[in-house]
Amino acid sequence: MRKSIITASIASTLLIAVAFGGYAQAKPVDLDLWLLQAVTEAGPPPDDWVGYKIIREKLGINLKLTLQPSSFTDQDTKISVAAASNTLPDIFGVNRDLLIKIAKQGLVAPVDSLLPMMPKRTETHYSDPMRNKLVMVNKKMYGLPDPGAMDRVEGLVIRKDWLDKLGLKVPTTIDELYAVARAFTTKDPDGNGKDDTYGFGAYYESSNLATAGFGRRFDYIMGAYGVAGTWNFESADKFQFNVRNPGFRKAVEFIRKINEEKLIDPSWSAPNKDEFRARWKQGKFGIWWEQFAALATQANYKDFDNNFPKGEIIPILPPKGPEGKSANGLDTANARIYAVSAKAMKSGKGPAIAKLLEWMASDEGYYLCGFGVEGVNFNKDAKGYINLQGIDPAKAYSTKAMQPLTQLRNMVYINNDIELAVRYPTYKSANGKTMDPLGIWRFFKNSPYTQAIGSSLVDPPSNVNDFTRYYNENLVKFALGQQALNDKTWAAYIKGLDSLGAKDIEKTAKAKLLDAELLE
Amino acid sequence: MSNTAAIGKTVKPTRPGSKTWGAIVQHKAFYAMLFLPLAYFAIFKYGPLVNAQIAFKDFMALDGVWKSPWVGFKNFGTFFSSIYFWELLRNTLVLSLGKLLIGLPMAVILALALNESSANKFKHFVQTVTYLPHFLSWVVMYGVLLLLLSPDEGLVNDIIKALGGQEVSFLQDPSWYPTIVILSDVWKEMGWSAIIYLAAMTGIDPGLYEAAEVEGATRLQRIRYITLPGIVDVIVTIALLRLGTILDAGFHQIFMTYSVPVYSVGDIIDTWVYRQGVLDFQFSLATAVGLFKGVLGLCLVWAFNKLSRRYLDSSLF
Amino acid sequence: MSKIKSHDEYVFQLVANIFLGLMLVVVLLPLWRVFILSVTPFKYVDNSFGLFVNPIKWTVDSYAQFMSHPSFLIAFRNSLIIMFGGLAINLFMTVPMAYALSVRSLPGRKWLNVVVMIPFLFNAGLIPGYLVVTGMHLQNSFWAIIIPGAISIYNMFIMRNFFAEIPMDLKEAARIDGAGELFVLFRIVLPLSIPIMLTIGLFYAVGHWNEFFTPILYLNSNKLQPLPVLLRNILMGLNTNEFVEYDTFSQVSVQSLKAASIFITMLPMMMVYPWIQKYFVKGSLAGGIKG
Repeated sequence: MRKSIITASIASTLLIAVAFGGYAQAKPVDLDLWLLQAVTEAGPPPDDWVGYKIIREKLGINLKLTLQPSSFTDQDTKISVAAASNTLPDIFGVNRDLLIKIAKQGLVAPVDSLLPMMPKRTETHYSDPMRNKLVMVNKKMYGLPDPGAMDRVEGLVIRKDWLDKLGLKVPTTIDELYAVARAFTTKDPDGNGKDDTYGFGAYYESSNLATAGFGRRFDYIMGAYGVAGTWNFESADKFQFNVRNPGFRKAVEFIRKINEEKLIDPSWSAPNKDEFRARWKQGKFGIWWEQFAALATQANYKDFDNNFPKGEIIPILPPKGPEGKSANGLDTANARIYAVSAKAMKSGKGPAIAKLLEWMASDEGYYLCGFGVEGVNFNKDAKGYINLQGIDPAKAYSTKAMQPLTQLRNMVYINNDIELAVRYPTYKSANGKTMDPLGIWRFFKNSPYTQAIGSSLVDPPSNVNDFTRYYNENLVKFALGQQALNDKTWAAYIKGLDSLGAKDIEKTAKAKLLDAELLE
Repeated sequence: MSNTAAIGKTVKPTRPGSKTWGAIVQHKAFYAMLFLPLAYFAIFKYGPLVNAQIAFKDFMALDGVWKSPWVGFKNFGTFFSSIYFWELLRNTLVLSLGKLLIGLPMAVILALALNESSANKFKHFVQTVTYLPHFLSWVVMYGVLLLLLSPDEGLVNDIIKALGGQEVSFLQDPSWYPTIVILSDVWKEMGWSAIIYLAAMTGIDPGLYEAAEVEGATRLQRIRYITLPGIVDVIVTIALLRLGTILDAGFHQIFMTYSVPVYSVGDIIDTWVYRQGVLDFQFSLATAVGLFKGVLGLCLVWAFNKLSRRYLDSSLF
Repeated sequence: MSKIKSHDEYVFQLVANIFLGLMLVVVLLPLWRVFILSVTPFKYVDNSFGLFVNPIKWTVDSYAQFMSHPSFLIAFRNSLIIMFGGLAINLFMTVPMAYALSVRSLPGRKWLNVVVMIPFLFNAGLIPGYLVVTGMHLQNSFWAIIIPGAISIYNMFIMRNFFAEIPMDLKEAARIDGAGELFVLFRIVLPLSIPIMLTIGLFYAVGHWNEFFTPILYLNSNKLQPLPVLLRNILMGLNTNEFVEYDTFSQVSVQSLKAASIFITMLPMMMVYPWIQKYFVKGSLAGGIKG
């Protein structure tokens, strides 16, 4: 009896020692963090960044930051290389599909045990059940889903000045939209006397199963036919690939028609976002689908403003299709997922990781990572709103030179009003009009979107590469007129999908979504 | 290395009765020189061959190459039954053969023109300029192609439009993409490949030309009956060697320039391996395909080398 | 060449030179276009095929923009390190091997040639090689770029064949004088091998300068990326972030920025190779084919 008490007390002393070991230890813990960068042209924070010092002295953590490449495929390449050799960093940003694959290989640790160690962060970042579902494997969380981009940030926009010049009304149906596109193409809306404009503009941006097809730049057309997104989520009975829906073929026919009649900028099939954006800034087309910040923040708008001081771009409601349906895009769950490697967890770095993340959710961490040093890079008023009063303009958090200091901002942002007001300020354009990026966002937010939250949850099948390729490639060929589009070819296309296991994919997806209570 | 080498001398007393041993001792400096390179070979050239076993395994990163479980020929089966198997093989062969069939005659013609021209300074300048593209990476080449072929701003499309035609998105159009791949490769390597033919031409006995001139042969006849026969061995050898590596259709080039709309004509074995293996984390499958390509390539090299040895009396090995 | 310039000869020269002139245009025109675009300021107007500089409106802004890119100097430095470091290791490994294998009397030479030949003929593909590199934890350092390609078997063969053709008596004479093999290599063989050293050296250097795939594969740290990777990011538009909120976009047109970065990336190679050009013939002839 006595002996066991001694043992117990020794054991508890040891436990306490272990528990507080992290604080008592003089030697800091090394943490290797692969960051999803916020501003890709800016580069990492400088070696003498004050954050490093605070993190080392207050948290006992030696933080080593590596910025991941900005292209998704390059990101996947890096993670794969590290995973294959079991040299994943301690904590890293990763896309969901790859996360599930490497989690199944046992390379990623469940993070449920970390949540109680960071109560504040869990409340602000990891308490959305929908987002958390993104990282669930066998009821365990294999990643930390930070709030991603704001929702419904993209939508249909049109050149208002072109409409006015040609005396046209804002189109409300897909047929009217088509007529406007035709006028934009043929009636010289910019009045330069040249036949150098198109109605529609887009680029090809499909990457994974959830965004298969033409990519999201065509969502408003797909939406008019009720087939935006890869899946039909209307109900459990109707759950299937949208391509099986007759409306899908009609949408493909529409895209084929505008391509054939040259109403769409022919470079749409190139996967180049950059070129696409250069093009609308050069006034090549009048109808396109764009992210509100990429469209309307001062930095992004200024080239267009220079070229067309009298130009005006407005958001419009997505056109209604023959059955009255419309959608500007998809409501999906999105998150910036950070995963903890199994190796890091095993070597006892879990608590340090939790400590770092919890600090990022504290006021100190939030403002430092999000905006820089108070009084140097920004000031804030009584309500916590950020301003630049009394700040040396060269050091203002919003300048190009200061961007490296806030590369971690996406790890702390929670998309509240304070952030939004700071990130998307209003300004005056060359024609004296007030530009309000957030106003455009609110317009998108109130426009119809198709509910497709489950699409982010469908696990990719093992032949996902072949499958999505077949799926996409044929659709693009149909649209480009490189392949005849009739009952026979369409049926052959669907049959081809089935031979690649479309039915199985639907079945497993359905089971998973029912289980996650995302289908009724 | 330097210690052993410094005492290496030609004349050395050898142990009686062991001629080989003596020769080895005599050459020890050379073995010392070979030590590092051979160690390098063991790790970086033979290591991959050992790792290729995962083609027959289900590779698990935590278990590593050796401890992953065997699965036999399953991965090969997956590839052969992939709907893209024949397409990948076809694309690889079409692009590769196209480059050979157009590139080789272009290089020979360029070499002929260089050989025949007597405008020495001009000739030299042309030579220098045509070498240039060989030294550019495919990243740079991709940039050049973009600025040349893009539908809206590309030079080629500007000209097409000026002539009243419709712009073409060359890099996204399956009917154009193979042509672009082949022609850009020919453009890049033409001048460089011409070197070897030009060298072979300068090696032809000038007496033959003089004799032909005396007999009144025209320049064309001289090319037809002297120059071309004089370099035909080199041409055939180069062609055979190239056929041996016909499954290398130019990974870097395709990797930089392809996109979904042209997968059907542009996706080759190597790009497929990259996507499946690295991007999709299916290392075993990708290795099986790589191995398939390696074995097929080996058979081709062997066969063409044999042909070359039999008919031309020159060979790679 | 001929004493009488016949009509035939004249026509022939004309055809040959016209063809050469055509080739000249074919090669130079695209590059010229790139150059013109790089000095054309941002303006929404279709230019005259982009083949002529507008003397009033040309600008080097895009060069300034590219060179002031936060990653440019680092990338340029990395490219230089990879090129010169790689080249040093290439030569350090390739020269001794080629030299030793060029010695016909070397016992076991036949077997050694087989050992070298097997990986030359049989390639296991991308993944197994990559597992070797990651297995040795070389990733995220320049070693991962430099070491796996330390010896190009093809280049080694070319060098070996060249060494083998150097007259034996020169080497023998030195050996009888009591000189060590290293002495023979450095004082006799290498001075006679300048053409091949320059050619092979250039092959290697160009390979390193142009490398973009292995850096994408193996280098994580942003401070390690070489120039072609930066160029690729710019060309593919990977660097423009959807969520850029602040003023980080460039002042020059995307096109002209691309053109300028293409030009700067290819410039060093353009400046080097013409000086070594006269040795190419010897270099490429010694290769591949066994006599």
